[in-house]
Amino acid sequence: MSSSSISSSLRLFTTKLPRPLLCPKTLIPSKPHNLSFLKPISFQRLPTTPSSSPSPSPSVSASSSVPLQPIEELPPKLQEIVKLFQSVQEPKAKYEQLLFYGKNLKPLETQFKTKDNKVEGCVSQVWVRAYLDSDDNVVFEADSDSVLTKGLAALLVNGLSGRPVNEVIRVSPDFAVLLGLQQSLTPSRNNGFLNMLRLMQKKALQLAMEAEKGENLGLKMDGSVENGNFGSNSDLGVEKTPVGVSNLGLKVDSRDGNVNVELDSEVGGERNRVQSSNSGGLGSRGTRIKEKLESELSPVAIEVEDISYQHAGHAGVRGSDGETHFNVKVVSKEFEGKSLVKRHRLVYGLLQEELQSGLHALSIVAKTPSEVNGS
Amino acid sequence: MPSTLTLFNLCCNSIMGTVVHKLPSFKFLNPTSSSSHYCSTTTTTTTTTRTSKTFRAGSRRRSFSISASASAVREDNPALGSLSLGHITRPDFPILHQEVNGSRLVYLDNAATSQKPTAVLNALQNYYEAYNSNVHRGIHYLSARATDEYELARKKVAAFINASDSGEIVFTKNATEAINLVAYSWGMSNLKPEDEVILTIAEHHSAIVPWQLVAQKTGAILKFASLNQDEAPDVDKLRQLFSRKTKIVVVHHVSNTLASVLPIEEIVLWAHDVGAKVLVDACQSVPHMVVNVQSLNVDFLVASSHKMCGPTGVGFLYGKSELLSAMPPFLGGGEMISDVFLDHSTYAEPPSRFEAGTPAIGEAIGLGAAIDYLSRLGMQKIHDYEIELAKYLYESLLSVPNIHVYGPAPSENVDRAALCSFNVENIHPTDIATFLDQQHGVAIRSGHHCAQPLHRHLGVNASARASLHFYNTKEDVDDFIQALNDTVNFFNSFK
Repeated sequence: MSSSSISSSLRLFTTKLPRPLLCPKTLIPSKPHNLSFLKPISFQRLPTTPSSSPSPSPSVSASSSVPLQPIEELPPKLQEIVKLFQSVQEPKAKYEQLLFYGKNLKPLETQFKTKDNKVEGCVSQVWVRAYLDSDDNVVFEADSDSVLTKGLAALLVNGLSGRPVNEVIRVSPDFAVLLGLQQSLTPSRNNGFLNMLRLMQKKALQLAMEAEKGENLGLKMDGSVENGNFGSNSDLGVEKTPVGVSNLGLKVDSRDGNVNVELDSEVGGERNRVQSSNSGGLGSRGTRIKEKLESELSPVAIEVEDISYQHAGHAGVRGSDGETHFNVKVVSKEFEGKSLVKRHRLVYGLLQEELQSGLHALSIVAKTPSEVNGS
Repeated sequence: MPSTLTLFNLCCNSIMGTVVHKLPSFKFLNPTSSSSHYCSTTTTTTTTTRTSKTFRAGSRRRSFSISASASAVREDNPALGSLSLGHITRPDFPILHQEVNGSRLVYLDNAATSQKPTAVLNALQNYYEAYNSNVHRGIHYLSARATDEYELARKKVAAFINASDSGEIVFTKNATEAINLVAYSWGMSNLKPEDEVILTIAEHHSAIVPWQLVAQKTGAILKFASLNQDEAPDVDKLRQLFSRKTKIVVVHHVSNTLASVLPIEEIVLWAHDVGAKVLVDACQSVPHMVVNVQSLNVDFLVASSHKMCGPTGVGFLYGKSELLSAMPPFLGGGEMISDVFLDHSTYAEPPSRFEAGTPAIGEAIGLGAAIDYLSRLGMQKIHDYEIELAKYLYESLLSVPNIHVYGPAPSENVDRAALCSFNVENIHPTDIATFLDQQHGVAIRSGHHCAQPLHRHLGVNASARASLHFYNTKEDVDDFIQALNDTVNFFNSFK
């Protein structure tokens, strides 16, 4: 029984979504080309008319010297919006279009204009609200007291709402260049557009993480998310493992059977060289994990498997010594009477040190002896 | 609103067929031929400087009626005509002669930073090309020359504000650092629990925050004077806050948002009466008018080079000698010491005591060159011109519908600085600033202008601000107003 659950967990980690998933900020040419999903089309900036600014602002040209995220990668509605703006040549008409979007944006109810929903560092006030719909797509609402910012918010809301979380997260702010709005992409405190997009992506991520926990607990999250049916085995709870603010690892269960995807969601995540790890015997961390769990839980059975190699090459792993992802299966009396979430929390608690020193993700199976024997 | 635009039409029908348009783009090659494109300033009389001076003196007394169409040319005011100070000095500022987003650059953000004349640029370049060297300790020729020029710059600053000795001028990174210097060096050794520091709510953050930090450490209390009904700091209320507990009064000379001017001489008298010191934030006054620290009798005064046509990276603190001599060091390091042992050090006399490390030598020399430039023009002349321009800006702005300009109205008794912070009803200032920049090449600022408490008091999150300097012209103001009207129309049409 135990071996089959391990082998099934091995199967679990074949990713069906492209790796590495790009942090929106960096679009360096090191994209993997073995993925047919990404068409390697080089994108050409459409020339703007002479009446508009002939030369882009420095921040724009800096980012356009790097290949832009191909338009086809954008969520479909966003693609439409971008194309619409490109078809409007005159700058003033573009602004009119922007304001039109803003005007038709559904107003945000006052109760949602909270500090949590406020975009930081804006000269104008901007709020963004996010929640998951019944299909676990993220829905956005936004508002601003500046009509231009509201227009930009409307663009983002229209373009990104109703899409799956991982699609939203992958959107690079560079698409703003395509709009031809002279939108600066300098990540400064005044850059409302950039900060808005980041907040939307961050909220989407948070929702996805909460949804996981929620589905494990059978609870509703955020008041409007139903218990998403990811089709995962209830005894194979997969949880996220946050390792510091700048390196948010996430495992998102997709709908078709337990595909795990690691995402690096924050700007400025570490970009170091990939280190290869040997997947043979347990390294020092693996040994430490095993010993710690053994000493604290007195397990009847314990298995610790280093599966970091499966994740080598994606952003969250770079820079570590390779021991970043583990499968852990523990059978112990300590779990009796505890809910699944409590059991996982117990294990995490014991491995805090590791989590803070480079352990990126754990996949935990925590059972009591009776559960193992009975089934 | 339509009437104003029609008037614009009448004035400028050579340019525009319809009402709402971007300016035709053109390179502003010859800055003095300003009459080429505008509501004509054809009354450019070829009066000699002397007659125009006397005329200007007379016109200052005249009260300008605020007409419904402020676009009506002030044809009777040669101060703003094509031989104005603005027109004469524009050629000295290369940066102003460019296009932004397809329109002539109209730079109206001088309260944030000023532009630099060629003389200052040359001074900087010359320093690095001819005699760059570390100052004060060197023996060789280059370092002797650098030291001489650096100390000469110090003397120029002292003379510029009429300090009694150049030793009363401490070079800092900027005015903010200078205030921090006073707060930490003087404040920490002079403030005790329950001592009071008096400020106004209109102070710049750099005048507030250092004192908050020091008050936390010393147990002192900060008290703030509010505004009167004219939206200027309430001087009477300020005076009422003074007591025997007051140890220092920290106020601006000219407000960067309200454009109001505080009566520093009187404030100093009242403060000294209760035994308190006065620190004046002169960032918006030193660049624009004559400032005489001896006649004002202030204890401390700060200003930034970059707001007075000098380079960034240098500012200064003026402090009375006896005060500076009693103050402990702020930053420690080289230059500010006398002897250094392992277990203790002795310190230099002021100003060196407060100038740790290698200073911004070239920049200080650049500031000296800026002072030379300003002195050649004459600060009184600059001030007079800017008063006229300030009135013109204020009145022109009032012609924009639904606008509110903050601060007191200019009058016989009330001079305003040449800046206006404003809000247009139902339009966010950031929208205005963005549209002005993108569609018209007009550079203004939107935000809280480092005066959040003030904006909170005024009940707004942010305001737009247009601020002028002596190299701005009447045409700049006209362009701005026309662009602003266009902007307001654009956003209103979406309501």
